[in-house]
Amino acid sequence: MISANRRTLLRIMSLVAAAAALGSFTFAAEAQEKIRIGYAISKTGPYAGGASITTLPNYELWVKDVNAAGGIKVGDKKLPIEVVEYDDRSSSEEAVKAIERLANQDKVDFILSPWGTGLNLAVGPTLNRLGYPHLAVTSVTDKAPELAKRWSNATFWLGTSAQISEALAGLLGKLKSEGKIGGNIAMVSVADQFGIELSAAGREAFKKAGFTLAYDKTYPMGSQDLQPLLNDAIAAKPDAFIAFSYPPDTIALTEQAQLLKFNPKIFYVGVGTAFPLYKGKFAANSDGVMGIGGWNADSPQLKDYLARHKAATGKEPDRWASSITYASLQVLQQAIEKVGKLDRAAVAAEIRSGTFDTVIGKVKLKDGLLQEVWSVGQWQNGEFYALAPTSLPGARAPVVPKPQWQ
Amino acid sequence: MSATTRTGLWCVALVLGAAIIAFPLYVNGYYLALGISILYFTILATAWAMFSGPTRYISLATVAFFGIGAYTAAVLGETWPWPAVLLAAAAIGALVAGITGLSTLRLSGIYFVIFSFGLAELIRQLVIWYEVNIHKSVGRYLFSAVTQDVLYWQLLGLAALVFLTGFLLGRSRYGLALRAIGADETAASHSGIDATRIKLAIFVVSAVFMSVTGAVMAPRWTYIDPSIAFNPMISFQVVIMALLGGAGSLFGPVLGVIPLVLLFEVLTATLPNHFSIVLGAIFVMIVMLLPRGVIGLIGPVQRKAPASDAVAAKPSTREQSGQLLRVDDVGKSFGGLRAVDQVSFEVTRGQIVGIIGPNGSGKTTLLNMLSGALVPSGGSIRFGGVMIGGVKPHRIARLGLARTFQLVRVMADLTVAENVAAAALFRSAAAGGGETTVELLDLVGLGKMQDIPAGDLTYIDQKRLELARALALSPQLVLLDEWLAGLNPSELETGIALIAKLRDRGTTIIMVEHVMDAIRALCSHCIVMNAGSVIARGAPDAVLSDPTVITAYLGEADA
Amino acid sequence: MLLFDIALPGLVLGGMYALIALGLTLQYGVARIMNLSYGESLVAAAFGALSLYTGLGLSPLMALLLAVPCAVLINWLLYRFLLERLMRRGKDRGAQEIDSILVTFGVLFVIQGIMLIAFGGQYYSYSYLSIPVVVLGTTLAVNRLVALLFAAAIGIAVYLALTRTRVGTAVRAVAVDANAARLVGIDVAAMSGLTFAFGGGLVAIGGVLISMFLTFNASMGVIFTMKALVVVIMGGVGNVLGALVAGLMLGVVETAVARLVDPGLTLAATYALFLGVLLIKPTGLFGRAAS
Repeated sequence: MISANRRTLLRIMSLVAAAAALGSFTFAAEAQEKIRIGYAISKTGPYAGGASITTLPNYELWVKDVNAAGGIKVGDKKLPIEVVEYDDRSSSEEAVKAIERLANQDKVDFILSPWGTGLNLAVGPTLNRLGYPHLAVTSVTDKAPELAKRWSNATFWLGTSAQISEALAGLLGKLKSEGKIGGNIAMVSVADQFGIELSAAGREAFKKAGFTLAYDKTYPMGSQDLQPLLNDAIAAKPDAFIAFSYPPDTIALTEQAQLLKFNPKIFYVGVGTAFPLYKGKFAANSDGVMGIGGWNADSPQLKDYLARHKAATGKEPDRWASSITYASLQVLQQAIEKVGKLDRAAVAAEIRSGTFDTVIGKVKLKDGLLQEVWSVGQWQNGEFYALAPTSLPGARAPVVPKPQWQ
Repeated sequence: MSATTRTGLWCVALVLGAAIIAFPLYVNGYYLALGISILYFTILATAWAMFSGPTRYISLATVAFFGIGAYTAAVLGETWPWPAVLLAAAAIGALVAGITGLSTLRLSGIYFVIFSFGLAELIRQLVIWYEVNIHKSVGRYLFSAVTQDVLYWQLLGLAALVFLTGFLLGRSRYGLALRAIGADETAASHSGIDATRIKLAIFVVSAVFMSVTGAVMAPRWTYIDPSIAFNPMISFQVVIMALLGGAGSLFGPVLGVIPLVLLFEVLTATLPNHFSIVLGAIFVMIVMLLPRGVIGLIGPVQRKAPASDAVAAKPSTREQSGQLLRVDDVGKSFGGLRAVDQVSFEVTRGQIVGIIGPNGSGKTTLLNMLSGALVPSGGSIRFGGVMIGGVKPHRIARLGLARTFQLVRVMADLTVAENVAAAALFRSAAAGGGETTVELLDLVGLGKMQDIPAGDLTYIDQKRLELARALALSPQLVLLDEWLAGLNPSELETGIALIAKLRDRGTTIIMVEHVMDAIRALCSHCIVMNAGSVIARGAPDAVLSDPTVITAYLGEADA
Repeated sequence: MLLFDIALPGLVLGGMYALIALGLTLQYGVARIMNLSYGESLVAAAFGALSLYTGLGLSPLMALLLAVPCAVLINWLLYRFLLERLMRRGKDRGAQEIDSILVTFGVLFVIQGIMLIAFGGQYYSYSYLSIPVVVLGTTLAVNRLVALLFAAAIGIAVYLALTRTRVGTAVRAVAVDANAARLVGIDVAAMSGLTFAFGGGLVAIGGVLISMFLTFNASMGVIFTMKALVVVIMGGVGNVLGALVAGLMLGVVETAVARLVDPGLTLAATYALFLGVLLIKPTGLFGRAAS
């Protein structure tokens, strides 16, 4: 046994040695002719659905746009972008490993973030230790301010859960005081961090705004039939139906609401409402539906962005995080140009302190957080207009009550 | 192997060992991350194979325990000292494994596979429900200063521990017992192995390693939610890696882990967009070309059977006369069918009792009740003064009641010697020492076949092996269920002589048999059964000429 | 009425579960291939229906006519050239099972990879027969009702085919004991191949029908594989009626828990039911005791 084990052990050792040899085909650092930018993104696994609509197309579009313009201007030279990309397979461990690989093996100059709260938080400490700016766009968490304090290289772009829920409650409260809706709300939420945080913040905000929660339940991720939930929500006769749901559920809820002829004055569902898929599937029936996100569709920059996105990727962007993702990349580019060299610490500091011109307008972060984030949008005539926070410029008037399903 | 190559090999091993331990000191963060991946899958796959390899219970519950550990760390990590957190993770993992193991390990085959998966999902759903309704937040944040180096060394220590445990287990009697259970659970139970308890114990040990791995890994990800902690892909990857490497040996799984982690790594890097297709195709090819896993390439690993061979043969001190077995009014019904009806008889020490009767008369059912395979519907069975009706087979076996099977049951994957050694593992001290494995094999005529897998023996030799295995229990009573069936005349002669020899050594025997010559030659007393009842008893010659018996065998003569 | 409000949507949901599981009953229960790529095949069929619907305007029900023969053929080829060799190689059922798990794990990645290249990772959804129909006072979606009817019809038809025809009897014989079946002159490989291919056809039916009302993407296969496995095992391996009943049961329980207890516990309840059934009847609702 001893000798067999030792033989086995030897084989293992030689395999380990082979592993060590494996990474040695890395590129030698050339004189800076290019900017190497790397990212690991979920191309497979449960996060692929979100990543491939919000994040990946914008990375590709941005690289294309920048390179078409000759590259990023560093000092007096324009350096085109060279991309290194990996698939993190929706796994936290793979995401961390990919970051280590991008930094240590590929020696990329900058790293773009993965998709989703879980993965962004997983890679957070590593990016922080390695000193790369971390544009954690697609992470919605109430811990964002604390995280931004902890990781000086990190910035958060979609607001906190509380912000979203408060803006929604603010809008609904205004409509109630105008007498357009009554005080009854039915709320359902998906049982994961996103749904729980939003519904918890919502619960408080709605109460403060004088609403009663006639129905308030969570459902597990992966539920394949939400009709029972909807039946009970309908029975509560709400003026507003709020669902903090994930894309497949958002679609299913809308479809089943139509079947059940459920026409509350406010129908707010999402994530997913802002996806072009939603408009594509429900066409005219999407009119009047509210959801997370929205954008100022009349702004010329965004119109231009929409056209470019369509041309480059063959599909429309979603109307929530897509444009912000693109804007965050523009911020990165402008920060690099302002700093004038590939000094990551300086760039990270500049991202936090500077003012930038982007597709979503002027961007100035406060404490590492983007403050002006649209929380409520509504489909109106085939476009997902932003409604709230009503204080932001460009906020559009809501159409209430929502037209009946056709 | 000469002394110099020996020393040389030790030196190489030492240097490599040192290289592995010092790995974080000389590689960059990426290789360290790769090392961490390999280590954590190595621990999981090795722990998985510790239980699933020998028993062949394919468990998809890996992630249930991994997730439990991760959650424990996430909940306690910032308040408790780290070693306490790890201990807590181990304890909770053990507790859950114990509870679930008790209820699930009686399932076998595919039912267990899916059950284990369902278990992982159920635990995940319950955690979600708890977090949503009690804790009011699903994600847990765990900020910890653990660096990659520290993580690596923790995992390395854990890996060393899992290998050490596996190694010791393989050398202990529990390792052989577990393999015996995997090969044939029924035969193992009747050889005195407490299958349930051993399976449970090793299931728990394996789960503890998985839980601790989860706890060690959790701080790396800052954020733990149920879909991260209970990601079913982890279970699948572990199964695949272990099976690919070869789950049957200690170092098999690691041989699956390393190539697969590297393969995943190379493919994600070089072909991020065609990763899936290429990986899948390569995987299919590996399976088609490596039927026995990677370890199969290296050749069969010699195992050393545990040291139970060394039991010294000492003369039996037990009583040599008097009543050994007493059966009173024992019956067994299956639904409405009374297979055995109010059977009573006694067996005196040193006797050979024959049970005969036409097919379907209840003989094997009776033996099954005596050996514990079936619980009697009524009546009592007293063996050496102990009531054994309804007692578990392994306990009866340990009391000194051994059996063979009508349809021969050897543990096919185990060697001939291991088959016998397995039965000697748990023989009670009271039964006195017995012969060594070698002596028993010599006794039945298999002395030269010790290292052959039992499954490769001929039918006759398998029967001999069964007898040797039964004798390894140092039994007071041996039940032979048609042990002589299917032998040719010369084999029959040897067989009869062998049984006679056993009687002369003082072993009491009950034999169910159709070979009347053997009954006549061996039995002092004979019981005839028909349709579940005893229709005649007495000396063989008298009984066999009894008209009732003849009618039972041949039917009414020209009625 | 609450009773119908629970029972009918529950049955409709359960019908979908049963529909998803029928193919696996044959592939796993009868042909003994633990097909881990099952869910991916299902999603592939859904993508097929989507393409035919959006590209050619072909209704999903018409798409069945195209998808099912294709799926049967592909699955037969898969069996013939990949799985049959493994089945022949495996010494016993355990070894065969391990090999089939491993090889279909590879196939899973291949199918998923093809779908990722063709469709990317994003969600897809289209509407067909998404119209309400009122049954006993409860509103149901026609497309989901169609799925239930298909599940019931297929389940019963396959059950009858297995129990009332010569080929069916041969197939069952192979399922129970391949060696014994060989002894009585049954071509085991051909029968298993046939069953596997036919199971593949049922997968295609399931995939096409659920695409009418579920939102799906290329990475979702594993969810369906798992649901199907749970249903198959709970019903008793190889028992088509069992799968039908188990699917319906799960649907009704899920709906009842959502309405009466807490929607957050629906999935926990289904797994608890599943584990409970196995603990009481270790071989499933309609399974025979293992010998």
